[in-house]
Amino acid sequence: MSVLALSFGFGLITASVLALAAVGLSLQFGVTNYINFAYGEFLTIGAYMAWTLSHVLHLNIYVSMVLAVPIMGVFALLLNRFLLRPFTKKGVPLLFLLVVTFGLSLFLSNLTLAIWGTDFKSFDLPAEVPYTLGPFLFTTSQLAIIGIAVAAMAAVHILLTRTEIGKAMRAMSDSVDLAQISGIDTDRITSFTWLLSGLLAGLAGIVLAINITSFGPSFGGEFLFVIFAAVILGGVGSPYGAMLGALVIGLATEMSAMLINSAYKNDVAFALLILTLLLRPQGIIRMAGKA
Amino acid sequence: MSPYFYYLATLVVYFFIFAISTWGLNLQFGTAGILNFTYITFFAIGGYFTGVSMMARPDALSNMRYILGLSLPFPIALLIGATAAGVLGLLVGLVALRRLRSDYLAIVTIAVGAIVYDFVNVNTAVFNGADGIAGIPYPFNDSLNLDPNTYTFFYVALAGLFTLVLGILAFRIYNSPLGRTLRAIREDADVASAFGKDSYRFRMIAMVVGCVYAGIAGGLLVGFISAFSPGGWTAGETFLLYAALLVGGRGNNWGALLGAFLVPVLFAEATRYLPEISGRAELIPALRNMIVGGLLIAVLWFRPEGILAERKARLTGVYTPKRKAALEVD
Repeated sequence: MSVLALSFGFGLITASVLALAAVGLSLQFGVTNYINFAYGEFLTIGAYMAWTLSHVLHLNIYVSMVLAVPIMGVFALLLNRFLLRPFTKKGVPLLFLLVVTFGLSLFLSNLTLAIWGTDFKSFDLPAEVPYTLGPFLFTTSQLAIIGIAVAAMAAVHILLTRTEIGKAMRAMSDSVDLAQISGIDTDRITSFTWLLSGLLAGLAGIVLAINITSFGPSFGGEFLFVIFAAVILGGVGSPYGAMLGALVIGLATEMSAMLINSAYKNDVAFALLILTLLLRPQGIIRMAGKA
Repeated sequence: MSPYFYYLATLVVYFFIFAISTWGLNLQFGTAGILNFTYITFFAIGGYFTGVSMMARPDALSNMRYILGLSLPFPIALLIGATAAGVLGLLVGLVALRRLRSDYLAIVTIAVGAIVYDFVNVNTAVFNGADGIAGIPYPFNDSLNLDPNTYTFFYVALAGLFTLVLGILAFRIYNSPLGRTLRAIREDADVASAFGKDSYRFRMIAMVVGCVYAGIAGGLLVGFISAFSPGGWTAGETFLLYAALLVGGRGNNWGALLGAFLVPVLFAEATRYLPEISGRAELIPALRNMIVGGLLIAVLWFRPEGILAERKARLTGVYTPKRKAALEVD
C-alpha cells in the first residue's frame, strides 16, 4: 500500500473527528454569536465521562460511550442556562463574554485535572481488526469513527433543512432580531443549540480519544485551535463550511507528514489558519455579520 | 537581617514585575479592548531573549542548547528581549487586528501561544525543550559582586526603577490623545473611524506597546531568577494577569497596580505554601487555577468594573445640562 493512500486514510479519520467538533462549535457560534473558548474542555470531559462510566461504574464500554454523549449535551445545556444565558441577558459586551468562556476553560481544565489526575487513560476496546478497502487500510474503530461522523453530518443536515427547530436555528444565525419578530422562541432555540453543541463535543471527544488511544487532561484544549482552524477556513457560523474546513485541515495535517516531520502537523493547521485570515477572512462559505 | 526581610524583598520584586505586565495588559485589554489570550507568551519571549543575550555562547560540552549567546550587558539584552516581544506582537497584529471582531484576534493569540510552546518543546536541539535554560548571569553583578542577599535588595531598586518609568508612561499614554482614541475605538470602532481615526493603526500601537511591557517584565523576571523553563509560561499565567486586571479595575492603571498586588502576589503567595497532598501533587495548583477561573467569572458578574472603576470621561463645555436645556428650548 502506498504512503499516499495511507496518509490520505489518516487524513480522513482526522477530518471525521474534526468535523464532529467543528460543526458543534460552529452551530453554537452561529446562533449565539460568540465563541466558546471552553469548547476544548467539553471534548476532554466527554472522553473522561465515558471512561468513568466504564472503569468506575463498570458499565460496558460501548454503553458508557453512548451514555456519555447525552450527558455532555445536558452539561452544555446547564452551563448555558446557569452561566452564559444570565450573562447575555444582562447585556454584557462581547469582550467580557469571551473572557467568561476563557475563564470557564481554565476552571474546567483544572477541574478535570483535580478529579482525574495527570495520568493517561484509555478505553478498553477489543483488539483492532484491519480491513482493506481498495487502496486503504483501516481498523475497526477507524471505520467506526468515519461512519459516526458521516451519520452525524447527515443528521445535522436533515435537522437544519427538514425540521422546524433546524430552520429556526438557521434563521437565528442570520439575524436574531428578525427571528424573534417572526415568532421564534429564541431562548428555546439557544438552549437546543447548546444541547446539540454539547452532544457533538462529547461525541468528538470520545472518537478523538479512541483515535489517539490514550488521553490526558489537556487533550481537548490542545485540539481547540485545530478546530478553530477548520471553523474559520470553512466560514465561521456555517455548519457546512465547518465540514468542508474539517476535511481540508484533516487531510492537510496528515498528508503533510509525507513531506515534513509529523511533529509539525499542528503547524500546518496554524499556517492554514493564518493564510485564511490574510487572504479570505470570511472563509470558504461566507456568513453575513460573522466576520 | 531576618530571612523574612529577604522573602519580603523577593515579593516586592515580583510585585513590580506583575505591575509592569498588568499595565501592559491594561493597555491592550483595558484601554484598547484587545483580547490577547496568550499575553504570557510575549512575557516568555522577552524573558528568553533577554536571558540568551546575556549568556555566553553555549558550551559544547554541556547538554544545554540555546540560541544567540551574545554575552551582552543587561540593558542591551533587555532591549533585545523587549524588541523580540514587540515584533511578535506586531506579527500577530498584522494577521488579526484587521478583523474588527475581537474573537478573531483571541483565536489567533491562542493559536500562536500553542504553536510557540510546541515549537520550543519539539526543537530540543535548538531551545533545549522543556528543560529550559539555567545559569543566566545576574544583571550587573559581574561588576557589583554582591552576595545573593544584598543583591536581592539591589534588584528591588532596579525593578523599582523600571516600574516607576513604565508606570509613569502607562498613565501618560492613558491620558494622552492616543489613550483617548484607543478608548473611543474600544467603545465604538465605527464612530471612531467616522472621526478619521484609523482603528487598525491605533490598536496596533496598543498591541505592540503592551507586548513590549510584557517583554520587559519577562526580562526582569529571568534576570532575577536566572533561569527559564517553558513549563512556567502556560495559559494559567495569562489568566492570573486577567484576573489581576479585572479584580483591580480594567481601564484604570491604579486598578491594575492594585490587582497586581492582590491576585498574583497576595493570593498566589498565600496559596503557594499549602501542604502538598501526598500522591496528588497536581491537586493544589489545579484548585488554585479553578479559583482564578472562578474569580474571573465572579468579578465579571458582580463587579465588572473591578475595585477601582475606570473614570467615566466627562464632557465639559460641550453638553452641560444647562446648554442641553437651551438646545431643547430652541
